[in-house]
Amino acid sequence: MPASSAESAGQSVPSGLAGKTPSGRGGPTANVRHRRGVTASNRPLWMLIPGGVLMILVIVVPILLGLYISLLTLDQYTLRQWLSAPFTGLGNYIEAVTDSPLLKSFWISLSFAVLSTAATVPLGIAAALATQNHFPGRAVVRSVFLIPFVMPSFVVATVWRTMFQPDGVIVSGLHSVGITSGLWLNGPNSYWTLVIVEIWAAWPFIYLLALAGLQSVDHDVHEASALDGASWWPKLRYVIFPYLKGPVALACVIATLNHINNFTLPFVLFGVPAPEDVQTLPFLTYITSFQSFRFGLGAAMAFSSLILLAIPLIIYVRAVKLDVDEGADK
Amino acid sequence: METRKTRLAALTAGVAITVLALTACSGSNSPGGSNSPGGSNSPGGSNSPGGSNSPGDSTNGAGQTLTVYIGADGKYGAQQQQWFKDVSAAFQTQTGATVNFQTFASGSEELTKIQTSVVANQGPDIYVVGTTFTPTAYSTGAFVSLTADDWSKVGGKDKFVPATLGISGPSDSDQVGIPFNSGPFAMAYNTDLLAKAGIDKPATTWDGLVAQAKKLTGNGVYGMAIAYKDNFDPWKFIWAMSRQAGNPIISGKVAKVDDPTTLKAYQTYFGWLATDHVVDPASVGWNDGQALAAFASGKAAFFPMSTTSNIPTLSTSAVKDVYKFALMPVVPPGATTLPAGGVGATSILAGNNIVVAKYSKNQDLAFALVKYLTDDANQQFMYKTFGVLPVNQTTIKAVVASTPSLGPILDAAAGSVATPFSGAWADTQLALMNVVVQTIPDLANGSVDSAKLQSLLTAAQKTAQTSLDKAP
Repeated sequence: MPASSAESAGQSVPSGLAGKTPSGRGGPTANVRHRRGVTASNRPLWMLIPGGVLMILVIVVPILLGLYISLLTLDQYTLRQWLSAPFTGLGNYIEAVTDSPLLKSFWISLSFAVLSTAATVPLGIAAALATQNHFPGRAVVRSVFLIPFVMPSFVVATVWRTMFQPDGVIVSGLHSVGITSGLWLNGPNSYWTLVIVEIWAAWPFIYLLALAGLQSVDHDVHEASALDGASWWPKLRYVIFPYLKGPVALACVIATLNHINNFTLPFVLFGVPAPEDVQTLPFLTYITSFQSFRFGLGAAMAFSSLILLAIPLIIYVRAVKLDVDEGADK
Repeated sequence: METRKTRLAALTAGVAITVLALTACSGSNSPGGSNSPGGSNSPGGSNSPGGSNSPGDSTNGAGQTLTVYIGADGKYGAQQQQWFKDVSAAFQTQTGATVNFQTFASGSEELTKIQTSVVANQGPDIYVVGTTFTPTAYSTGAFVSLTADDWSKVGGKDKFVPATLGISGPSDSDQVGIPFNSGPFAMAYNTDLLAKAGIDKPATTWDGLVAQAKKLTGNGVYGMAIAYKDNFDPWKFIWAMSRQAGNPIISGKVAKVDDPTTLKAYQTYFGWLATDHVVDPASVGWNDGQALAAFASGKAAFFPMSTTSNIPTLSTSAVKDVYKFALMPVVPPGATTLPAGGVGATSILAGNNIVVAKYSKNQDLAFALVKYLTDDANQQFMYKTFGVLPVNQTTIKAVVASTPSLGPILDAAAGSVATPFSGAWADTQLALMNVVVQTIPDLANGSVDSAKLQSLLTAAQKTAQTSLDKAP
């Protein structure tokens, strides 16, 4: 099979190259005619087939399988012959929405993600602005800023879990300045623990994209605003920020999705069973599927959350007209 | 026209690739899937090398490899690696087959492996699973239920301590779990601290123990070391106290998590810190290792342990000359004698079982390896090296004779009671743990509200009952 696809690929080699190779001697005229004939309606779309096949195998088939599983009563008793597990229709979806912590987890995930993004944006932009102008040691500072981002989530969570222990450095540190902080890894505070650690780990992402946006600001623009006598704030507000709008809006979407999908952080920080306040969507789906063996319900939860999350996401993407070119034009 | 043809040809080729790929994917599943249920059990497994399996063949495993999935030993990693090599070498001499040991670091890792292997119908031949997980493993139907013939291949059922077979299957004739090692509860106590307080030995009732612990608390020392934040420990206390009060938590198809006996068990367990003040307040954040450290440094008088793996650490600690073992109390909280219907459970039936996968094409070879692992020589070795108790009758008799100080632990093993053999147990256990996790914030504030505890129990009851209702 690879041989035949190589052959068909060979035919599409640009004529110039094909003409130079001895083996392509038979083809040049045909190829030239081809190239001349390429129009919008006559594009070699079949060349997308390998990519299409890959997408079907990697994305479409698993999604359809997941969808099918969400319609089954699939548990430890039926797992072995999972294709013949009893069909339950929308039963899992109804249970997920009406009789499971799904909606609570949805709000936890969403608020956690939005809060984390909202907190990381000013941090990231401030850091990008601070390292924009050259100063001695800037390269070192920029590298240091990236440390939280490149550290594996597992390591980050393990270290923070140790620090948040009831007799750990954070609690005793707060105690020494007269603050009794209570528990961080259980109870309502655990939610804030999750937010704090996520902010710590995720702000360099915003910083990176903001930095990329700043790089695109033309030197002439700085010069022009200096000539006009703009002080730092109007310059920042009316000259620099418009350049950042596109990259940062994109960063917000990606970061929010990353926060929502973050499984490692709550899993390693809190373990199973987790405090109720940090049972995020991926965490809940994991526990339902792989700890309680309710694969059908777990799949239904995953699909329900996909739909629930797609709605605000689509609205947001529409609202900010997420097109980098457009953003930069303004 | 020509382009059209090319496109059509390419399209056909593309579709062909897709179809081929899809059939290849499902193909690797289906032959095993259709053969395995009966095929690998019965001699009809024609595609397996051991198609003409007979007991005699088990010694002829030349060129075969058995895969064993076993938990990594966190305390004795190097020794465990050496043991893997030794077992493989010995087994190769014996049968010609090699043994490939794969390790997992956590229970959830093992769970995922079992789930994927069950679906794919391929994976390790042998799994070492915890006793409380055996019912869930059984409920997947993916593991061999041993026939009389199979039992004889592993050396006969008689060679095992009868109590260790208590959680191998739903009945004597339907068992998937072969006992591998045992590790019951025990309570360590500091003889020095007890002597100073004028106490000669630990009480045998939970109430009595608390009274003693109160006497022992003071001057930086606490009566008990308890690991409230441990992910595995707490439910075992709740189960033991409930069982002693007559509640098995699961009885047939009925869950009894919200029973008053269980509420009382939780109140007692949390009360040690909240109302009796015999436990270090920091222990709301402790796991088993941290509680062990507190006892090992002489800061706690009693240390109820839910595992024997702490013994090697204790024997080299600061308290190594002043500690002894006793049974955990067997009379439930609020009682002075065992109530009617109560069972004096000294421990859950704890330890590990071996299960053999139905999809394994080398089942006879697998049983031969299980025989080797559960025979006296290896059981002796594991006891000396890893601190796990033997399940082999001969070995345990030798151990009793040589180490009298282990007496209480062996008594605990003998008096241990199996957790309910139900596919819903894993869910129930998680629900019992969840009650503890959600109560810890209140515990840290020093008061546990009964109404809130009751509502958590009601939720746990619902989880357990839902899970039970799913069972066929």
